[in-house]
Amino acid sequence: MRIYLGLLESSLPDQTRIFGELDGQLVDLQIACAAYLTQADNKQANAYELASYYFPNTIAGFLEWGEPSLKLLDQIMSFVNKSGVRQLRGPGGEKLAYDSTEVRVLPPLQNPEKSFVIGFSDRARTEALPPAEIPTGYYKLPQTFVTTGAPVIWPKFSEDVDADGCIAIVIGKAGKRIPPEKAWEHVAGAMLIVDITARDINKREGLTTNNLLGKNFPSSTCIAPALLIGKDKKDLLALEVELSLDGSVKQKFALRDCVFTVEQIIARWSILGIKPGDWLAIGASMARQGDRLQNPMPLKIGSTIRCAAPAIGELSHQVIAAGGMRR
Amino acid sequence: MKLVTFFHDEQERIGAIDSSGNVVDLINAYASYLRKVEKAAAPIRLATATLGGDMVEFLKHGDQAMDAARVAIKHAAGDSGGDNVIERQRVRLMAPVPRPGALVSAGKNFSDHVAEMSSKKGPVAPVAFLKLPGSVIGPEDDIPHPPEVKNLDYEVELAVIIGKPCVDVGADEALNYVAGYASFNDISARDIIRGENKNGIHLMGKSFPGFAPMGPYLVTADEISEPQNLKLWLRVNGELRQDSNLGYMIFKIRDMIAYWSQMGLNPGDVLTTGTPRGVAAGRKPDQVPWWLKPGDLVEAEVEGLGCLRNRVVAEK
Repeated sequence: MRIYLGLLESSLPDQTRIFGELDGQLVDLQIACAAYLTQADNKQANAYELASYYFPNTIAGFLEWGEPSLKLLDQIMSFVNKSGVRQLRGPGGEKLAYDSTEVRVLPPLQNPEKSFVIGFSDRARTEALPPAEIPTGYYKLPQTFVTTGAPVIWPKFSEDVDADGCIAIVIGKAGKRIPPEKAWEHVAGAMLIVDITARDINKREGLTTNNLLGKNFPSSTCIAPALLIGKDKKDLLALEVELSLDGSVKQKFALRDCVFTVEQIIARWSILGIKPGDWLAIGASMARQGDRLQNPMPLKIGSTIRCAAPAIGELSHQVIAAGGMRR
Repeated sequence: MKLVTFFHDEQERIGAIDSSGNVVDLINAYASYLRKVEKAAAPIRLATATLGGDMVEFLKHGDQAMDAARVAIKHAAGDSGGDNVIERQRVRLMAPVPRPGALVSAGKNFSDHVAEMSSKKGPVAPVAFLKLPGSVIGPEDDIPHPPEVKNLDYEVELAVIIGKPCVDVGADEALNYVAGYASFNDISARDIIRGENKNGIHLMGKSFPGFAPMGPYLVTADEISEPQNLKLWLRVNGELRQDSNLGYMIFKIRDMIAYWSQMGLNPGDVLTTGTPRGVAAGRKPDQVPWWLKPGDLVEAEVEGLGCLRNRVVAEK
């Protein structure tokens, strides 16, 4: 199932809601939960309070409730389906289903404590360089996050910008120093990410083993609006991601192609402690169709970046010049 | 002003240290002023809307919040009743900015430190890395010594707290964007960093929980006329290990702000200056190692910003 975080037209910035998806409609899960509790579970008195407990204003908050809330989500969605997504209303007559154009979708996880991209994880690169011993990573600041449709703003300080498609494994259960064999118990689902890099800056920063400006500038982390949940290990490993630039495919890979396993990555990074809503992204430049090292495909002003994984959805961004638009 | 974040009655609050060393609860004191002097309705709600609920919000509210804080401190000096002023011992001080938006820490930024770390030459552009905001701890917290780490090190630095949105600013105007300053200790796991550096990026070795002690308070920029000439030093178990002056920075505070403003800085973001010589990693192999171990007391201080004292404990 895919869930979203969004704002309605009249919402204040902190009034984010979690949405499910049915028949092309986005379903406000807080109102749908209240309707379900009132009609199907006979909990009239405190339906709204319980609904805002189970579906708080962040997806990280929702994931914290773990297995029971996922089960409740299933029950709610089948209740909405049975009642008719376009007919059903909340207990007080509230609208609960929206066309996608009525909801301003956001990156699903707004402020994770850990939002890391694992570097050196692609097979193509290991053919050109010695393989990495440990899954090191770099941190993408939440202030760099945008979602589909937002322009990617060319950073003024760079002359060489490129894009890498990634799959982010999203954590659903807190833990610390998790052994590899228990790693998958902590996975809630997956998101689609395009990691934008100012390659010239990144190369220079690499000489002093830091990795900051080249990876963190406004709109340098594009995150698809859907969080895919409720899938098992096999399905997630098989997710196919394709990144194209102006219509020509640049990268194509699945999570199972990564040189590090999800088990290794979670075991390593959970040393610091991980919690619901954190994510670890994998994949950058796992190019079957032309390794970036041998066949670079830099972005240009006006380029259209498209990244898609059928089960998750897609990202579409146009590259614009700095100063053309301010967020 | 000496601004603090403190924990009292199971709540995180924003405050200021008053002339006798006690803590003014800014929201309570400002609400008291609004109620008694301005005769405002719902004063607590108005005070919270004006000052913000935590330090990052306070900084985002800018001059309006700073002015209200000054009013609150003045009011509390004459009216310390209720919960306007709380005795220092009755609260737990947290880091003044417990959850910065971004924590940007300079590396290789003192020539004597560059030399002791055997780097061939100084950097061509400012060098910095991100520490995880979640690694920040306060002046009354312990530094956990992770079981994975063999070479735990200290680095006294100045923390520069940004007070205004700041994009592509010039060095000459850079200090106008600073809200204030605090003492900072950039704790580092050198052995973990060495492993990570083989891939050309390090993150974990600087970002274990508790690797970013900050505090005890944020001194507002109006009280520091020239931050670039402050002394800074660090002691371990009373022994002086680092003793230098920010004047020896390679990229100055103004340059750092100007350079990192290219990525866009926001109120509540924190830049740290890099550290001078005297870290444990700079010891020669034939000398007694200086690595931190459980039980050590680390005192990091920047002139005029208060002593940041943390005990190293074995991580449970």
